[in-house]
Amino acid sequence: MPTLIIDNLTVTVPEGTNILEAARQLGIEIPHFCHHEALGSVGACRLCAVEILAGPVKGIQMSCMVPAKDDMVVDTCSAEVLAYRAQVIEWLMINHPHDCPVCDEGGECQLQDMTVAGGHGIRRYSGPKRTHQNQNLGPFISHEMNRCIQCYRCVRTYQDYCGGTDFGVLGARQRLYFGRFNDGPLESPFAGNLVDVCPTGVFTDKTYRFKSRLWDLQEAPSICPHCSLGCAVIPGARYRELQRRRARTNKRTNGHFICDRGRFGYGYVNHPDRPRHPLVGHRRVTWQEGLAALQNKLQELGELFGAGSIGLLSSSRATLETQFLTKRWATSLGSDQVCFEAHPVRDQGARVAASQPLDRSASLEDVRNCDLAVLIGADPLSEAPMLALALRQAARRGARIVVADPRPVVLPMACERHAVSTDKLARLLRGLSRPQQSALPASLEELGGSLSQALLSARSPVLIGGTDLLGPQGILALLEAAEACSQPEHPCRTMLLLGGPNSFGGALLSADGPGFDSLLEGMEQGRIKALLCFEADPLADFPDRKRIRAALSRLDLLAVFDCAATATVQEADLFFPTTAVEESTGTLINNEGRMQTFEQVLSAGTPIAESAGGSHPPRFFTRDIPGTDPQPAWGTLGALMGRCADLGALRREIEKADARFAGLSLLDANGEGRRIAIPRSRPVALQPAVANAVAPDQLSLLVTETLFGSELLSSLSPCLQEAIPAPFVMLHPQDAMRLKLEEGKKVTLATPLGDLTLILRIQQDMVPGVAIVPRLRGTALESLVPGSEPLPCRIEKA
Amino acid sequence: MAMLLSEKQITQLKRRVKETPHPREMILDVLHAIQDANGWISEEGVELAAIILGLSPLQVEEVATFYDKLYRRPVGRKVIHICDSICCWSRGSETLMLRLQQLLGIAPGETTADGMFTLLPTCCLGACAEAPAVRIGKTLYGNVAPEQLEAILDSERAEGQL
Repeated sequence: MPTLIIDNLTVTVPEGTNILEAARQLGIEIPHFCHHEALGSVGACRLCAVEILAGPVKGIQMSCMVPAKDDMVVDTCSAEVLAYRAQVIEWLMINHPHDCPVCDEGGECQLQDMTVAGGHGIRRYSGPKRTHQNQNLGPFISHEMNRCIQCYRCVRTYQDYCGGTDFGVLGARQRLYFGRFNDGPLESPFAGNLVDVCPTGVFTDKTYRFKSRLWDLQEAPSICPHCSLGCAVIPGARYRELQRRRARTNKRTNGHFICDRGRFGYGYVNHPDRPRHPLVGHRRVTWQEGLAALQNKLQELGELFGAGSIGLLSSSRATLETQFLTKRWATSLGSDQVCFEAHPVRDQGARVAASQPLDRSASLEDVRNCDLAVLIGADPLSEAPMLALALRQAARRGARIVVADPRPVVLPMACERHAVSTDKLARLLRGLSRPQQSALPASLEELGGSLSQALLSARSPVLIGGTDLLGPQGILALLEAAEACSQPEHPCRTMLLLGGPNSFGGALLSADGPGFDSLLEGMEQGRIKALLCFEADPLADFPDRKRIRAALSRLDLLAVFDCAATATVQEADLFFPTTAVEESTGTLINNEGRMQTFEQVLSAGTPIAESAGGSHPPRFFTRDIPGTDPQPAWGTLGALMGRCADLGALRREIEKADARFAGLSLLDANGEGRRIAIPRSRPVALQPAVANAVAPDQLSLLVTETLFGSELLSSLSPCLQEAIPAPFVMLHPQDAMRLKLEEGKKVTLATPLGDLTLILRIQQDMVPGVAIVPRLRGTALESLVPGSEPLPCRIEKA
Repeated sequence: MAMLLSEKQITQLKRRVKETPHPREMILDVLHAIQDANGWISEEGVELAAIILGLSPLQVEEVATFYDKLYRRPVGRKVIHICDSICCWSRGSETLMLRLQQLLGIAPGETTADGMFTLLPTCCLGACAEAPAVRIGKTLYGNVAPEQLEAILDSERAEGQL
């Protein structure tokens, strides 16, 4: 721990810290471009010069390149240093077009800040500037190469950190060009990070182009709701419109970056089809009328059929506060028919996952620092994209990454792959609990055994599993395997991918309560007459669409509280609009059991861009602001229970009622979140999965999540539409050859749910005998839901 | 695309790539093979190199555009590289450049009408001890005086027409 003096202040920093970081700890910001905490130092921009007065090296040095040493004396603003920096910034600015008024970076531009900080105010250079042709980089990123100052942050992010191979640096010297070989969309699912890392306006958010300046935006710390990882984000809004999302730093979870689903999935908030008013039937009513209708109906049903005739369903999209009050309200109504997930496998899987010992649960930071990661039935890019990036960082440090999956799992780096069909994953997991040495594993048990041995001898191993493929039994087996592979000094941690941003919260609150399948049986048998859905979409999320549709149609009352035009909303007798994540405050518990709160970014309302029809804002005046009816679901629930909407009091109540949520009321939205205090108990009886019989001439149909188009909210985002693939089916080359099918051609997929026409993709890395389709909402594949037992299917030429 | 290199050359290069632990080491060899066969490296040339090397076209292009002796545009039969870096500049490379433009009737970056010479400035030929230096085709000329240029061009042209 060297102690040094910077600008007459003493600081002690960990060994290996550079002077730039050490100064930062004192609150001294040394101007810089190329250094980035996640990317490291390269000493390329020459801006972070300081004068070292005493120490192993003396004179003007780049502070990002010199490690802090004992007894160093550093001056960050001696006259010589200031003159040096002023010159550096002047030549960095030589070719810059000075187009700040029309540049989207203006106001959040490091180059602007550093030019001012460097003291360069008057341009002396009058020669010609180098100019470039820009490229079309696809729907997400705008390119303006003339603004470039050659700091290389983009290449280091795109190639080194994110593993992309289609974007890089071309040319040399004055001709340096950051771009692609040809025009075309950037292929990396993390390309959006270029916007955040570029210190000037070369790469800007195309979906936010010419919309706002930073200082006009409403921003607040928030959490990304598009998968179970809970990455930290900062959404920005203006004119009642959510205009963008950027990454926030949380070193325990996402680090500095986010994926493109998270960055560009924000558009659901502004969706023109979003229902914004309470509805009875399809008639617009006031909140008072709507709530009165709901309460009258519930009272009537309660008197006629008893409180047990009312079912309540929340979801993994709902906040902890909403889930808690859903349960409270059920209790006060006298009903025990309450659950928090419409998908029974995901529900059970999350319940098992939430029972893992907390000191064994891996955060994304643990994954980045692991030396061995074994992924069983987990497809990071599809189910939790930032996990793929975390795995890449581990691999860059030399970690071994092993993937066992029936799907052609794509990762942004090389890894060890084992194509294992879904039904055989259980055998692999059994092997994982029994360490054994085998150089050339002949069977799945032996492969499991050798992996188990490797996990045992690794320093910081992580075992990763997905609930969709493993199911509750598989997750349980995985947790047991992790236990068997743990040494006291280096435990085998686990990371389980769940269905949604708050699956963990639902799993904690559900205790041993019923699953949605039991509610569904109640509806089918006529015991349950009313279903109240809080940000839940059972029609889309329950795996058997025919069955759920029939059950819903038997209800006397279907009341839906939601922020998006879901399938269930279309069927609702009563509808109440809720706020989106960005429009309210709340808490989500991510897949490792980390409670994280988010703050309100904007108030719900119809975007001016929409209410004004794209023209000047309306010139007539009314008392009310259009589209402001949505209320936080927890607020509406509170109102139904006769409470006032006090979030602080509600959080204290949750803490008091349940020791697992200790510290909830102290959470800071800007902080790193807090792990829950105690895991839940293991669910008692797990229902064994029933495998569908597949005839020898049939294929088994596996439905899986995909990066864009599977998750509900992001799939509604207009900015992501271009990235959502056309419906396709994947086959192993063997099967394609046997069936005489060709890549890229139309095929007919015959399933028990009907025939579908899809484009064929041939994939070498998947298991034979299986047809894999992505879940794509709003397409022909809509009724196929991941996480169910594979169906038998046939494929032929269309 | 296959026309850029013979099937035999492609097979040979692919074998050498396979034997190298890091295929990137072979980028220059593959690009040189394509340039030797075609005089320059076209877009298709970069794509062919990418296929041979198992890399993305961008990864090949990064190297192809870095070196100024790899030509990404059509050039004459012989490329004249004239050094404009500090040593050569201080010993009269500017005069050489002007004289060459006069003699050839072209500006830097252009090719003579007969397709013989392309004139390019370069940042270094590694011949600082013999400044000013000029490279024509693969021949390096050191300590060049402006009055020697005409004879040098004549002999290079004669050789090029053989």
